Amino acid sequence: MEFIRNFPFFSILLSLGSGVLTSIMNKKTARLWNTFILAAITVMSAVLFVYMLEVGEPYTFMMGHFPAPWGNEIRAGVLEAGMALFFCLIMLFSLKGGQEHIDAEVEETKVNLYYIMINLLLSSLLALIYTNDLFTAYVFVEINTISACGLIMITQSGRTIEAATRYMIMASLGSGLLLLGLCILYDITGHLLMSSIKQSILYVYAQGTYNIPLIASIGMVVVGLAIKSALYPFHTWLPDAYGYSTVSSAAILSSLVSKGYIFLLIKIFFRVVGFDIIVDSKIVNILFVFGLFGMIMGSVNAILEHDIRRMIAFSSVAQIGYIYMGLGLGTTMGIVASIFHILSHASTKSLLFVAGVGLTDASGGSKKFEDLTGSGFRNPAAGIAFTIGACSMVGIPLFSGFISKMLFAEAAVQNSLAKMLPTMICLAISTVLNAIYFMKTVIRLYTPASKKVRKTQAGEAAAVSMREHPLYHLALLCMVILNVLLGCCSQPIVDWITSGLSMFG
Amino acid sequence: MHNNYMIFVSIVLPILAGVLLLVTPDRVFKSRQMLINMTAVSFVVCALSPVLVILRQTGNTLLLFFLVDEIPVFFAVDHLGRIFAGIVLLVFLLAGFFSFVYMSHEKNEKRYYGFYLITFGVLLGLCFSGNLVTLYLFYEFMTLVSMPLVLHTGSKEAVMAGLKYLFYSFCGAYMALFGIYFLYQYAIAFDDVEYQLWSGGYETSRHMLSFVSGGSLDLKAVAESGNTAFCLIAVFMMIVGFGVKAGCFPFHAWLPAAHPVAPAPASAFLSGIIVKGGVLAIVRTVYYVVGAEFLRGTWVQAVWASLAVVTLLMGSSLAFKEKVLKKRLAYSTVSNLSYILLGLSMLNETAFTGSILHVVFHAVIKSALFLSAGALIFITGNTKVNDFMGLGKRMPVLFWCYTIVSLGLIGIPPTSGVVSKWYLAVGCLESGLTGLSWIGPAALLISALLTAGYLLPISVRAFLKETDYEAVRNDYKEPRPLMLAPVVILAAVTLVLGLYPTPLIQLIQSVIAAGLF
Repeated sequence: MEFIRNFPFFSILLSLGSGVLTSIMNKKTARLWNTFILAAITVMSAVLFVYMLEVGEPYTFMMGHFPAPWGNEIRAGVLEAGMALFFCLIMLFSLKGGQEHIDAEVEETKVNLYYIMINLLLSSLLALIYTNDLFTAYVFVEINTISACGLIMITQSGRTIEAATRYMIMASLGSGLLLLGLCILYDITGHLLMSSIKQSILYVYAQGTYNIPLIASIGMVVVGLAIKSALYPFHTWLPDAYGYSTVSSAAILSSLVSKGYIFLLIKIFFRVVGFDIIVDSKIVNILFVFGLFGMIMGSVNAILEHDIRRMIAFSSVAQIGYIYMGLGLGTTMGIVASIFHILSHASTKSLLFVAGVGLTDASGGSKKFEDLTGSGFRNPAAGIAFTIGACSMVGIPLFSGFISKMLFAEAAVQNSLAKMLPTMICLAISTVLNAIYFMKTVIRLYTPASKKVRKTQAGEAAAVSMREHPLYHLALLCMVILNVLLGCCSQPIVDWITSGLSMFG
Repeated sequence: MHNNYMIFVSIVLPILAGVLLLVTPDRVFKSRQMLINMTAVSFVVCALSPVLVILRQTGNTLLLFFLVDEIPVFFAVDHLGRIFAGIVLLVFLLAGFFSFVYMSHEKNEKRYYGFYLITFGVLLGLCFSGNLVTLYLFYEFMTLVSMPLVLHTGSKEAVMAGLKYLFYSFCGAYMALFGIYFLYQYAIAFDDVEYQLWSGGYETSRHMLSFVSGGSLDLKAVAESGNTAFCLIAVFMMIVGFGVKAGCFPFHAWLPAAHPVAPAPASAFLSGIIVKGGVLAIVRTVYYVVGAEFLRGTWVQAVWASLAVVTLLMGSSLAFKEKVLKKRLAYSTVSNLSYILLGLSMLNETAFTGSILHVVFHAVIKSALFLSAGALIFITGNTKVNDFMGLGKRMPVLFWCYTIVSLGLIGIPPTSGVVSKWYLAVGCLESGLTGLSWIGPAALLISALLTAGYLLPISVRAFLKETDYEAVRNDYKEPRPLMLAPVVILAAVTLVLGLYPTPLIQLIQSVIAAGLF
């Protein structure tokens, strides 16, 4: 067995182990060690991705010495390797972009705690991507929740504690539902390994026994994961969590955490239950309707916001609605569009959060729109980056948002009329709504501030120069390049997703 | 097909020049005159490459890269693109040189010139687009980069107008995008077309939604799938969506808001050229992607023509009532664009000729009108229509030019307007649509009368009254030569094209002869 095949195992264990190790480090060592581990895992994922593209077939990796179906397994294919690479890159950029804020907002003695949480989060994301065992998935879902909670709460203020508490309650609800669903599945099939469960379910479904428990368990699993990934109307924890935590946390939460759960959901669709059974059970229609609602209501709420961070957070609600709408279309093309939107949204949302913090810094730390007037001039790089992110969200060609909208539309026209028409109409309406609040913000950024405002701000925060904050500008540049790359060279990526999905099941 | 990289240069050079101008800090320009000189040089240089593109006769395509499988960013220069690029170039240069004098009264000049250059580059990209997605790309960018021109003065009114422009344009673009998504599945893929890549090698590939005279849609597939009704709805959405930019009722409200608040040369550019971007998009969609055959006789044609007639009359009536000069001219633009849309909706050769002629003539005339209005505002500081009484004695050349182009817009020989209106009216009568075929010319007549009513009184009051008006009391002189010359040139073009429109008509006939109908 080739050495490269060990890489998924190495990645998960390395990040888990370094999380434990970080508890004894001080602030600077913890940061350097975390960067090193993250870079190492990125390189490993890249090598694995190239290897998987060459091999073209997925493989299973036995964990421990117990073979299937009694032991634990991880499985790597083209799609998983690529997603792991992408998630690592986004995490790296978000951390580097928000690094100064971590140092500023978190207490000295607690910074290493933050990096412990980051490592645990990374390990759980990688495990969710690679795992082939349902119970392991649940364990790492819980680790994900706890570390995400830690990320929110690390800046101890009243708002973040309330946000973390609310997140904990809703996430626990979701985990509980997930666990119930998994238990019922185990009951019906007698297996915990995903591939084995699928064979069992095919048999059970063909027999016609246990139909109602099967549908019930699928429903519970789907709703549980939907709550955790903030599908409307289960999104109420999201604006507080993203709006008040430190910027790296917000970027990582919005780009990666919710997407990890969606990826697990797609995995359960394809590898545990089988996509045909899912479509037959009509669960996808419910996801479709909620997705449509999320698209519209997320944007409507964003328009009503006065705080830039909360506005971007509500925009996330809308984008997650897009992804669930894609899932709800019930075709392979729809899933491909959803996965592309996961990539596009991750790169754009982290860009928006990191750019947004630069703008609020140049306005004396205030997040309110009145104080952000003209901040595009005070922090030029952040202004341009925010504009690019806004253009991508709105769907201007050459950026990634346009491609994902086109893919959704393409998937929709292949569907029956009953689903195609609402999809097109909601796509159009939500794009207009997106344009309203994003373009309004961009104009506000480039409206010169009144003289009185300028004087108070010149005293507090001078114009941000590139020499003073090299890491921040580098992170912004990398994220912009990633976004434009997704927008211009999308065809190879769509091909990769399609081929990965065909071997995913 | 060989790539003509000059197309790329002509689009990118103004954009780069504009961006360079925007990011250069103010202190680099030691004096205002230096800024003006450098900007003038950049205008001339940026205008040279499109001239080369327009004049070259063969091998005029450029495939940049594939955005998605089967849809590239693709440019193809055909005669229609040449006509539109020609007027863009003309108005760009003339309004640009006009603005050197006009903007001396305004702040933030550098920003204005920067965005002006970028808009020029994007407009050239629009004219040279070879497929629907490239057109859409540049259409969106056109809205984005022309917005800073609208809200240039930064007043609350200007910002509100800019926002209104943005939202209306985006809503229109998304309606059109809906149509693009739908039509994509029926587009004929052109197999085995050879394209040259960046690296120099050749590749054969399929190529969707590109502009082919007579339509590139697979009509048999549409009929077989039974989705004809939906295709018609999709095309209608595209016409209305692109028509927002062209000021079609009921989405015209952004025009009278945006044009008065923009600086006069920007208004000239907006009214003369940017709204023609919407017209170009409609022409490309209806004649080059869907094909006129598909729409002939359907409800889409009837509704489109009716909307055009309504906007025609409404625009002229509102202009007649309006007292602020620039707003009056903005309503006039709404009305004249509907002449063009009416002609396009008739779907026959004569009306098409009339429409394209009116595109050229209206661009020239409206730019002249806005530039002269700008000159008047610059010199006297007054904006209302009745404020210019008796000024004809002081500024004879300006008011003569104004009068000539007004006659052009009304449609009195020997100015150019009569030629386009003639073709439009004959085209309407030939169209065979019940009712609309005679309502069209009737509306054109009524509108011509209203046009006379809202344009000529300014000339009349300027020339013929001679009592003790404020204008005659103040010592107003003729505008400076750099300000006056563009207006004179445009008026001269109006006269020349009116007396000798044949080359232009022949060019349009060659567009039609390529297989449009």
